[in-house]
Amino acid sequence: MITASHLSHFYGKEQVLYDISLEIKAGEFVFLSGVSGSGKSTLLSILSTLLRPSQGKLFIENTSVDKISDLDFFRQSKIGFVFQFHYLINYLSVYENIKLAALDEKKKNISTLLDELGILDLAKRYPNEISGGQRQRVALARALINEPRIIFADEPTGSLDSTNSTLVYELLSKAVQKGTTVIVASHDQQIQDYATSTIRMIDGKIS
Amino acid sequence: MISLKALTKNPFKSFLIFASITIAVMAIFLITSVSQGVIGMYSKMIKTDGDVIITQKGIADTFFSNVDIALLEEIDAIEHVKSSYAMIVGASPVGHIPIAGIYGVTQNHLSHYKLSKGDYPKQGEVLLGNTLAKQLKSRTVKIGNKRFKISGSYSSDIGFEEGGVVMNISDAGKLFSRSASFILVSADSPAVTNEIQEKIILLDDEIEVKTTQSFIKEYNQFKIIENSSLVISSLAFAMGLMGIASVMSMIVNSRKEEFGIMRALGKSRLFIIKNLFFETLIMSFSAYLFALVLSLAILATLPHIQMLQGYVNGSLTLTTALYVLASTIIMALIGTLMPAWIASKTDPVLLINQGCS
Repeated sequence: MITASHLSHFYGKEQVLYDISLEIKAGEFVFLSGVSGSGKSTLLSILSTLLRPSQGKLFIENTSVDKISDLDFFRQSKIGFVFQFHYLINYLSVYENIKLAALDEKKKNISTLLDELGILDLAKRYPNEISGGQRQRVALARALINEPRIIFADEPTGSLDSTNSTLVYELLSKAVQKGTTVIVASHDQQIQDYATSTIRMIDGKIS
Repeated sequence: MISLKALTKNPFKSFLIFASITIAVMAIFLITSVSQGVIGMYSKMIKTDGDVIITQKGIADTFFSNVDIALLEEIDAIEHVKSSYAMIVGASPVGHIPIAGIYGVTQNHLSHYKLSKGDYPKQGEVLLGNTLAKQLKSRTVKIGNKRFKISGSYSSDIGFEEGGVVMNISDAGKLFSRSASFILVSADSPAVTNEIQEKIILLDDEIEVKTTQSFIKEYNQFKIIENSSLVISSLAFAMGLMGIASVMSMIVNSRKEEFGIMRALGKSRLFIIKNLFFETLIMSFSAYLFALVLSLAILATLPHIQMLQGYVNGSLTLTTALYVLASTIIMALIGTLMPAWIASKTDPVLLINQGCS
């Protein structure tokens, strides 16, 4: 599903990733662990095509990311994202935030998905009118709406209490059961109960 | 439509952008219009009643020109001359008013000033423009070192005249120690203007004879006003437009996180730029319209502000309005689309991080 070959990355002159090579199989629930500054978020950004690596190659479904002509559409149709701070657009309602991410043919599923996640009643509300846990569920709905092949999550439970954290992991597990590959960068050890494999990062390298 | 949502859901931010653009456009309008208005008023004064103007040779300003009024008789005798009159243009403190325009005119030109009250002035009397008359309630007024009886008041659509004083040319001559500032001559038809001009020039070595149109084009004072106005309005224009561009650019930069999220969700650069384009278009066009209405209201009010004596008048041409509209929208779009284009080429995660920092 995902193959990284000799990935390195620099922010200015500072090197943050050192010659990372890895392979993630379809349907895996991968826990990307490491302390702050270990490079896990940078690696996650590169694997999810949100950041171009300074060196190395990335292949998704056997296609080199460099060779993908419409990376935006590729991202929209194949990849879902969940961020720590949800990053919902504040001037769009819950429904509109999901609609913004949805492919045309998936827009009809928005209400069903919101219902499945128990947030249909929030559809018309704006991000600043709902709780942190509800926002993260909206962010999950946004990541799931296109039924992506891969979901990347960066500290998805970082700002949530344990009840909401469990809910997020269970929703991600459900996605894995449906064949989606999930990669989560987190400090939260609770995820080990759900992950099928772990990649441990130390000082920009895989330990 | 996302563009409208972005504007309406952030009312304070939208208001600030709207206000910045409005003020910048108003500054451009008002500075340009007032400069154009000053030139327009003086041009109109001269153009209204004459085809040919006679001034003293080698004098840059009509305020310093001295032409022999006796020439009037000889000019009137020239074939195809319909009428002629002499005028002294000066400025002096009038009563408690620090400065006002003084127009000394020959009897045959007094009717040019439309009486609102009283009679045309005889020797030792003055007729006040309505704006000035409102500020001088007494029956007499001191001008220079002489006291004049106020014979009445007049109206004029030229601000300089509306705030000025009209008197007989002989009284003005004593006040400013000259015979006449200039003589204006009207011809039977425009076709004979050059012929009259050539005949007048033979009458006196000390005079300069021009058609009023070429006089206005070449008049030094107009050139100075025009050039200063051009410099000031260009600066106002540049500052205003740079202001618009930088406000839009700051707004775009403050929304990097949002653009990063959109890119992460798979929205194309074109989608982001298209939405910003419409946001900018809506914002800059509505601010422009608001600024135009406000500017027109201010320009309409200026002549009625007593303190300004009607001397500050604005004239806003359609060409200026359209030019400012095009420039406003172009600069707003440049200010928006340049940083948006740069941002759209940045990796989404970097945009999100820049937006957070």
